[in-house]
Amino acid sequence: MSTALGQSPSPAFSATRANYAARSFAVALAMVVGFSAISLQLVRLALKGQIVEPRVAMTQPLTESYWRPDIVDRHGRLLATDIEAPTLYADPALIIDVDEVVEHLVQEFPEFNAADLRRSLSDRNRRYVRLKRGISPATAQRIHNFGLPGIAFRNEPKRVYPNGSLAGHVIGHVNIDNKGTSGFERFIDEAVGIEAVHSGAPGSLRPVRISLDLAVQYGLEDELRSAARQFGAKGAAGLILDANTGEVLAAASLPKVDPANRSHILDASRLDKIAEGVYELGSIFKTITVAMALEAGTAELGKVYDVRAPLRVGRYTIRDLHPLGRPLSVREIFVHSSNVGAGMMGLELGSDRQRAYLAKFGLIEPIRTEAGPVAAPKLPQNWGKAETITISYGHGMAVAPMQFAAAAATLVNGGLRVMPTFRSGAPMAAERRRIISPETSAAIRELMRRNVESAHGTGRRAEVAGYEVGGKTGTAELPGRGGYRETAVIASFVAAFPMSAPKYVVLVMLHEPKPTERTKGRITAGLNAAPVAGRIIARTAPLLGVFPQ
Amino acid sequence: MFRTLSAIAVGLALASAFALYVVSYDTRRLDADVSAQERRIERLRSDIAVLKAELAFLSRPERIEPLARSMGFQPANGAQYIEPDTLASAGSSPDRPRHASGAGQEKETGQRPSNE
Repeated sequence: MSTALGQSPSPAFSATRANYAARSFAVALAMVVGFSAISLQLVRLALKGQIVEPRVAMTQPLTESYWRPDIVDRHGRLLATDIEAPTLYADPALIIDVDEVVEHLVQEFPEFNAADLRRSLSDRNRRYVRLKRGISPATAQRIHNFGLPGIAFRNEPKRVYPNGSLAGHVIGHVNIDNKGTSGFERFIDEAVGIEAVHSGAPGSLRPVRISLDLAVQYGLEDELRSAARQFGAKGAAGLILDANTGEVLAAASLPKVDPANRSHILDASRLDKIAEGVYELGSIFKTITVAMALEAGTAELGKVYDVRAPLRVGRYTIRDLHPLGRPLSVREIFVHSSNVGAGMMGLELGSDRQRAYLAKFGLIEPIRTEAGPVAAPKLPQNWGKAETITISYGHGMAVAPMQFAAAAATLVNGGLRVMPTFRSGAPMAAERRRIISPETSAAIRELMRRNVESAHGTGRRAEVAGYEVGGKTGTAELPGRGGYRETAVIASFVAAFPMSAPKYVVLVMLHEPKPTERTKGRITAGLNAAPVAGRIIARTAPLLGVFPQ
Repeated sequence: MFRTLSAIAVGLALASAFALYVVSYDTRRLDADVSAQERRIERLRSDIAVLKAELAFLSRPERIEPLARSMGFQPANGAQYIEPDTLASAGSSPDRPRHASGAGQEKETGQRPSNE
């Protein structure tokens, strides 16, 4: 058979051999292709470096919580920010000894109810039981050290207010999910936007600039606090408004609210007296009445009214607190704050024109700011002769001080409409509505300045050297049972400075100030609200960068 | 010849497999590094937020005011402003206003208009 080997292969065998070569080539090719595919994939993975692992259920939002932008004042100082605070939760499926867990937790948080806790932790179908939000890092560490399986923490945003209750009324509140529920915080939710916690990170949102000035706000609050103490007042409120842009530099109402304390918002005594309360503001309203009369042309500064006799309408008699016993010019009516004079000027105008002017000044329609709606003005049901007279000196109609301050800004800034705003550097309307003529505004400025400058002016105690303060006092009796209470008043002072070209309007209110020795037993605004306004201006004007004359 | 080629190919395959293993191991390590850094960033960011709040808390006017007053400072007042052109002479004048008086002694009478 050796010959057979030397012979050329049989055709059958040769065919098999060719087949074999083809097959092994096919296998080799398949291998090459396969391995190169694997290599390529390996290279790709190695280069990209991202092995996308499937994310599991824990990253789903268990609760919706939000990151909020910081609030900074007009100079960038921090008023509100978010920090991460641990939330304590339990995963009942992982708990080994429920009793031990309950015992430790109740010991750490005495407010927990052991029976309730045991019940919810025993339910093994639940994977997430939230126990307590916003605990301190130290407490979290202590609980962590117990080494309890099934007890864990996750970080959630918590709003903090480093300045405590400073500007609390303006800032407002957030709820447990860090969503704004009132004040400027709510405005942020609506107009600026917040970020759900699972898609954002702390500090990733641009801070929102509020028009307040931290230092001015503190100065205002501090002066109001000492004034309330000095005069035994039940409350006090103050506002500093840019006379041209309407930006609120400071707004305070005592007693204050703490933004971190949600229950404060329900406390009626902590109502924001600047924006949430409406008051009969008394004689400071005479600035409006005089402006109306001048604008309508029914009076001029030198016009003389006979104010000797009390004004009688129906069953009402209006008289002056300190009658001078002689006819008074418009200037004197303003400086001596004559109710009869103001009433006569109102009567000359008539109720229709009075109403129309009040509407023009923006004192009829409700307004709103970024901190929420301002309480709507309370107007008389029927606007007769008696109402026209009383409104002329600030009774019979109630308005929020914020809304009045905006009208006062119009009076002194040359006659242009001002809308109060809490947005810093908010674009001013290119064409602002003219409410009164520049001449009328100049006349009001003259009257307000005279009332502080002159030795007889009711506002003389508001004078601050160098700042050309002008203003008007108002002492409004509070309505009580069966009429007005003479011993309970709101003493107020509306001021502007510097009077030659007013930059800021200041409004001060003292609620039910008590007579003191220094006020010689009286409670009129000239003796309490006016000096307080003077102190506020003396303290804040340098901070506001107003150069003294 | 074929045999040598195969040997080289196998050698190359083994080498590249090893290289790839090393690279992918490296990648994984770097990946872990990246997430560690990301966690660190997150933690630092959270720390920054806390420190920022802390700074604002410590510099709140309510705290600064009593401290400043106890050191003899007073709120600035209008009289402290001077015209820029008088600045040169005011700077050299020996009697420029000083406020560091006896701690806690000062009265505010100079500050507030004495009204009554």
